[in-house]
Amino acid sequence: MLLKNTYNEFIKIVAKPRSYLGFGALTLLIAIIIFAMKADGETIVSFITASFEQTLSFNGKLVNGNLIAFIILQMLVVHIPLLVALVTGDLISGEAAMGTVRMLATKPISRTQIVLSKFIAGAIYTLLLTIWLGFLSLFVSHLVFGAGDLIVLNSDGLVILQEADILWRFGLGFCVAFLALLTVATLSICLSAFAENSVGPIVSTMAIIILFTIIGSLDVTVFDTIKPYLFTTHMASWRSFFEDPVPYDSIYQSIIVLLIHIAVLIGITLYKFNKKDITS
Amino acid sequence: MKKFFLLAFLCFSAISFGQTANAVIDKINAKLTAVKDYTVNANINANIPMIKIMPSNVKIYFKQKDKFKIESKGIVIVPKQGFTELNNFISNKSKYTAVFGENAVIRNVQTRLINVIPNEGAGDIVLAKIWVDVAKSVIMKSQITTLSNGTVNVDYTYGDQISRGLPSIMKFEIDVKKFKIPKSVASDINKSSADKKKTSVNQKTKGTITITLSNYKINTGLSDALFVKKKN
Repeated sequence: MLLKNTYNEFIKIVAKPRSYLGFGALTLLIAIIIFAMKADGETIVSFITASFEQTLSFNGKLVNGNLIAFIILQMLVVHIPLLVALVTGDLISGEAAMGTVRMLATKPISRTQIVLSKFIAGAIYTLLLTIWLGFLSLFVSHLVFGAGDLIVLNSDGLVILQEADILWRFGLGFCVAFLALLTVATLSICLSAFAENSVGPIVSTMAIIILFTIIGSLDVTVFDTIKPYLFTTHMASWRSFFEDPVPYDSIYQSIIVLLIHIAVLIGITLYKFNKKDITS
Repeated sequence: MKKFFLLAFLCFSAISFGQTANAVIDKINAKLTAVKDYTVNANINANIPMIKIMPSNVKIYFKQKDKFKIESKGIVIVPKQGFTELNNFISNKSKYTAVFGENAVIRNVQTRLINVIPNEGAGDIVLAKIWVDVAKSVIMKSQITTLSNGTVNVDYTYGDQISRGLPSIMKFEIDVKKFKIPKSVASDINKSSADKKKTSVNQKTKGTITITLSNYKINTGLSDALFVKKKN
């Protein structure tokens, strides 16, 4: 019954035009980034290497498909949550707004299974969006720019990763990025359980992400105690796969924090939806 | 009066050591100019604070007077100066004044320090110090100070091409004090401010790049077209 309902929920997502907005927006954004990098990629890269190039000379193909894929991921990780929330924020509140929630609750399926099927359908949509992001950023970038070593800048300095040592990092990076987006999807589904219209959960999800991201990026000691508990802090942990050596401990920690967030948010959603008065 | 003392010092040096600093440099130049071009395999191993890169194998092409090219499959980091600048600088006698300095033993080899002081308008180089194995007419160590890039120390080790003055190992010491990370690009929001401070305190100020050169192919008549930069 859960699987059948999940299938139905996924059909509902597919039937909504807004579900394609995310794919369209991603395609357009990535096309713009690839065009910009093709036109002026060397200048953008020189911004990274400028302070080193007084003493050192970088030889080789710096602007390549791997770098572009990394830049795309870095740039879009802030925007993709909006595209996810646009669909998942509507999953429960949309039913409430249209009045179909009553009909849904009369089906021979428990309310817990209704929420879980919506969560699974939302997760599949998020996965498809992540795969599309991976395909466009990696495959198309490689097609346009070719392969090459990846130069990554983090707060410790530059890390230059060899071409043969990159693909698995992207693979695992996308997995963690998916988990981060799934947290966003779960948050919006959770907020959706509290609302009677779609706009509220979508806007609230983005407001929370923006607020947490600002707290996380502020270099103030007083926030150091709460930063590890914010899911936005761990949304960027896909980047850790591009460090050398890979800090697996901090990645595991991020995965655990994200999973706890998902579990707690599903728990809240289940509690709220099971208690929800659908008669009035 | 100062000029007199300098002249007297130079004469004393020349008499006491049998040959002038210029004569020593001439012998080095004679060796180096005999090599019109070369191709060599190189292993580049960079150990630089703030930069993590695996050792890589490349091919280096050189043609007199200053044509230089590195061919690599991936990204490699090499010092901005130190390959051709010194040889070019010491090859033009009108551009500098050479003065002997102290003796020094470098890796069990007796060397003489020659201070190469540029004459007016000589360019970017402020001072070049070279430690020379006078018996074999090769540079064992150099310290080049430039206006644009600060000071770079290079240690030279020689192998089977010592007769041509071509090293088998070059070890560059790089000053990394100027390196700065643009904060807007390096967005590690999952690092606390304490972690970031800890990282900046732990940074060393010197780095090394060791280039091991092997399989020299000398005077094969490399074409100029080889050194023309291709657009990606």
